[in-house]
Amino acid sequence: MHAWRSLAAAVLAGGALLLNSGCASRATANVTSGADVAGARTFYVAQTPEDTRGIQNLIRDNLVKRGFAASAGPQTTQPPPADVLVTYVDRWMWDITMYMLELTITFRNPANSFPMAVGNSYHTSLARLSPEQMVDEVLGNIFNKSKENTK
Amino acid sequence: MMRRIFIAGAFAGVLAGCATPTTYEGMVPTAFDNAKRHAQSVSVAVSGGRETDATDKPQISDAAFTQALTQAIAQSRTFSRVVTGAGGDYLLTVALTGLDQPSFGFSFTVKMEAGWTLRRASTGAVVWQQAILSEHTATTSDAFAAVTRLRLATEGAARNNIAQGLARISRLEL
Repeated sequence: MHAWRSLAAAVLAGGALLLNSGCASRATANVTSGADVAGARTFYVAQTPEDTRGIQNLIRDNLVKRGFAASAGPQTTQPPPADVLVTYVDRWMWDITMYMLELTITFRNPANSFPMAVGNSYHTSLARLSPEQMVDEVLGNIFNKSKENTK
Repeated sequence: MMRRIFIAGAFAGVLAGCATPTTYEGMVPTAFDNAKRHAQSVSVAVSGGRETDATDKPQISDAAFTQALTQAIAQSRTFSRVVTGAGGDYLLTVALTGLDQPSFGFSFTVKMEAGWTLRRASTGAVVWQQAILSEHTATTSDAFAAVTRLRLATEGAARNNIAQGLARISRLEL
């Protein structure tokens, strides 16, 4: 009986460790040396094929709010003309409700898909942000990093 | 009861393990597909890496990738030598821009993207630029512990990225 109780406690504690990811947060951005992100005016946001939540539209709207010309659509080998091709990866987690765990946005050279800049935000359940806030944080960090690099 | 839960929690924590950073030794390719050896020298700069947090997944730091790349260039003789800091004939920059790591599973496949740029040091002109995608799968036969398996898969993805990058550079006319 004693052993069963210990085992049950271990399973509970292990499960808690597995499921309770706490309140970890991370927000980073990196601009490739020599990439002209600051000079970009037009953006095309390519929808990630697995995305059914329309994150591409949130990114497009945020770019427009920042004063850029931006459009969004499917990933294609012939994207519309733009200074920057934007791709992203969104990861979601369930904790009472679904929330966006991690968002990575990459600015690419449309000519060869070369990554010009990348931003990443990661917030676990207790520190969760709305998808709009995640997009704003990632894009804000990319543009801030770009400004730092051009100083 | 509280004491028992605390001990059990600590035991579970040990079982779950802490993430260990990737090692540069694990990221040096063991074989090279180089077409040519360039007589010029090169300096190396890596950005976009991250230090490993004990509660996070194994990451690739700039320092570890730089060391692995430097050793790989020396072993493959892609360039005659690697110059520390400025002073090389060429500047090779590698931006680590993507690391896709799974959270669960028996086989861990890690995918990686890095932007490689080779510049002529004297003029800053871009000689070659390419995004290189690589991946590596580690299975339970490689390591039983998940954290070790994930580290091995991450190192493998970096190793393949370095091998691909140097193979392409070796095909350039410099």
